[in-house]
Amino acid sequence: MLTLKSVQAGYGRLPVLKGISLHVRPGEVVTLIGGNGAGKTTTLQAICGLLPPRKGLIEFAGQELNRLSPERIVALGLALVPEGRRVFRTLSVSANLELGAFHRQDQKQARRDLGELQERFPILKERSRQPAGTLSGGEQQILAIGRALMARPRLLMLDEPSMGLAPRMVTQVYEILKELKEAGTTILLVEQNARAALKVADRGYVLETGRIILDGTAAELKEDPEVQRAYLGKGYREVWE
Amino acid sequence: MFLQQLLNGLTTGSVYALIALGYTMIYGILGLINFAQGEIYMCGAFVAVLLLATGKVNFYLAFAAGMVAAALLGVALERVAFRPLRGAHPLVPLISAIGASIFLQSLALLLFGPNDRPFPIQFTFSTITVAGLPLSTLQGAILAAALGLMGLLMVFVRYTRYGKAIVACALDRDTARLMGINVDRMVALTFFIGSALSGAAGVMMAIYYNATYPRMGLLPGLKAFSAAILGGVGNIPGAILGGLLLGVAESLGAAYVSSGYKDAIAFAILIGVLLLRPQGILKGRGD
Amino acid sequence: MAAYLLHLAILAGIYIILAVSLNLIIGYAGQVSLGHAAFYGIGAYASALAALHWHFPFPLAALGAMLVTGGCGLALGLPTLRLKEDYLAIVTLGFGVIVDLVFLNLEVTGGPDGLVGIPSPRLLGLSFRPQPLYLLLVILAVFLVLGFTYLLVRSYHGRALRAIRDHETTAQVMGINTPAYKIVIFSLAAALAGLAGSLYAHYITFINPESFGLHTSILILCMVVLGGMGSIIGSVLGAIALAVLPEMLRQFQAYQDLIYGALLVALLIWRPEGLLGRGKLSLKFLTRG
Ligand SMILES: Nc1ncnc2c1ncn2[C@@H]1O[C@H](COP(=O)(O)OP(=O)(O)OP(=O)(O)O)[C@@H](O)[C@H]1O
Ligand SMILES: [Mg+2]
Repeated sequence: MLTLKSVQAGYGRLPVLKGISLHVRPGEVVTLIGGNGAGKTTTLQAICGLLPPRKGLIEFAGQELNRLSPERIVALGLALVPEGRRVFRTLSVSANLELGAFHRQDQKQARRDLGELQERFPILKERSRQPAGTLSGGEQQILAIGRALMARPRLLMLDEPSMGLAPRMVTQVYEILKELKEAGTTILLVEQNARAALKVADRGYVLETGRIILDGTAAELKEDPEVQRAYLGKGYREVWE
Repeated sequence: MFLQQLLNGLTTGSVYALIALGYTMIYGILGLINFAQGEIYMCGAFVAVLLLATGKVNFYLAFAAGMVAAALLGVALERVAFRPLRGAHPLVPLISAIGASIFLQSLALLLFGPNDRPFPIQFTFSTITVAGLPLSTLQGAILAAALGLMGLLMVFVRYTRYGKAIVACALDRDTARLMGINVDRMVALTFFIGSALSGAAGVMMAIYYNATYPRMGLLPGLKAFSAAILGGVGNIPGAILGGLLLGVAESLGAAYVSSGYKDAIAFAILIGVLLLRPQGILKGRGD
Repeated sequence: MAAYLLHLAILAGIYIILAVSLNLIIGYAGQVSLGHAAFYGIGAYASALAALHWHFPFPLAALGAMLVTGGCGLALGLPTLRLKEDYLAIVTLGFGVIVDLVFLNLEVTGGPDGLVGIPSPRLLGLSFRPQPLYLLLVILAVFLVLGFTYLLVRSYHGRALRAIRDHETTAQVMGINTPAYKIVIFSLAAALAGLAGSLYAHYITFINPESFGLHTSILILCMVVLGGMGSIIGSVLGAIALAVLPEMLRQFQAYQDLIYGALLVALLIWRPEGLLGRGKLSLKFLTRG
């Protein structure tokens, strides 16, 4: 469904991605794990068109994305839950959700989806008139996921959804991801929290300084000594029980 | 006397507020000040006046045409003087807008000459007494129209899909793009709406002062800018409040302090506000 | 004819001082002033009044004019230079309007008629009334200003200023006191504009508010942009070009502002580094990406 072939990208003269290849098949949950500054966010930005790649090929559902603008890419059925949530702080919770469906042609259906979404995440209904910036971090993360779902994406991408959240909220967010997976949603999940990510993912890639150094099924990665040492080792808090 | 001045002030203030809305909206979305806002106002006035002078167009149509012409000029201006310069040092679009402002002003001077044009149709305005206050129906009409337009704008921004999209672009451009919002189109829409309001302001002032001339936009433009800062740049209710306050301050100042320095009052207030509370009365996006 | 050429040369010299000083604000403090003509005017009036009322000799009058304008620059810069560049542009524009109103309304400035009979400079018993001598005086002033500017931008402080212009936050983090720098540069530039005003007043010998309006501010701005923002030599060339060109294109006078306006927009889009300067200090390159 999504394919990256030797993608290179960077900021100014600085190269960050040094040739990345990965793919996501329909219905799969794929995780991309890596430490700080590995280039995970950069990869997602390249896919979304916010940072057009220098070299390589990005393909989604048979369409080349390399030269498309973010708004065109999003319209093809890709949605991103950005790093740090990035909710529209002064707009109300419901306005944030509505904007998630901005590009959709079927605005009537979108309004129905909004209702359903609010049933599913009661917090988004209770706070629907409140400015999004006044929500707690975890609530904002749920809002950001809800906003992305409002696009009815064919591929949902999340950038470190557990970042900065209390363990209880991490559990809740991953609960949502698990439900989405069971409903058949295709997901590309970027995480530093490898333990949590590998529990929900089918497959994974490990990114280090702009290169994929490992890939395999979630089970393989969990058993890999390198991954265990660097990403699952001691000092990493167990937050997914 | 005092109440009369207050009313005069509210009338001109409501017009400043309309122009200030244009400044504030454009600042909100681009972080730039459209220096040529005053010329857009002038354009609205000229189009309405010239159309009415033909004697073939009715007043409402001419008013609407003035607004549309101003709006289109605003959109064109964004394409020519702002868009190619996006991402450059902020001085660059600022100077380019100054250039555009001079260009438009001197173009109007060449086309229409320096003299004042009276408003082509005569309205029969009377003075009515409302709650013991003498209110000219002209002032009443301007106030009502200006407040009505402001109300429409607020409804647009708060409750419509495109209004929210504009706010989203102003808050976080990249994330807005991830929602599938075409930022260029929203910027154009913002220029369209902000300029239409300035065009309406131009027509109203052309009637109020019975004078339309190429440099008519200079001072109202500057004062509206001051009003936008007063209310906190990027803040829509702030721009309205700032415009009304400035109009009243100017009117009272001219009556009780000195009429020779009437035009200086707005700037004195502007400098005072920047000194004491640079974020404006209501908090704005300005820094 | 010779007299006319001398006249043009003297005006060009005055414009050079104005353009170079505005370029200090634009190219080195990263701000736009639209009130430069107001400082020019304040300098002219201050110097003229000092000479007319108190019989100050020219050097003292010029110095006094610089002090007054520098003080005005300080007063205006203090509240606004902390803020975004757009504010200063509008505040200086408003300042220009206020100053214009003051010249028109005050009694000592002679209202719309202005001041007449401003004495020509005399130094050591020598009158500088004859144009060639006045030109020498202006050239001397131009060289002083250029030398001063050159030393300033080459100094440690000049580098600090460029750092501020290009990356204000970084400069601040590096411990450069950016607001203080901006304020100092702004009032210095105002003082230089005051010097230009003084030179103008004592040359023309009669002044009125018309010479110091927005139109003049914009002319100076065009000179800077034409020559290239941040390029001192560019400002010199830009000032000469725009002082001389209009005289050569008299029949197009009605179109002058139209052309200037279009020129500003077109230059910024196609050649932001300016037409005449070498453009190594283009603001655009330095801040992209
Ligand atoms: N806007 C930018 N400009 C310049 N360099 C950047 C920019 N954003 C990121 N970088 C650099 O690119 C590299 C990769 O950053 P990226 O944000 O993709 O890492 P990441 O894997 O998402 O890290 P984290 O887990 O901390 O979010 C880093 O070295 C970073 O400094
Ligand atoms: Mg990241």
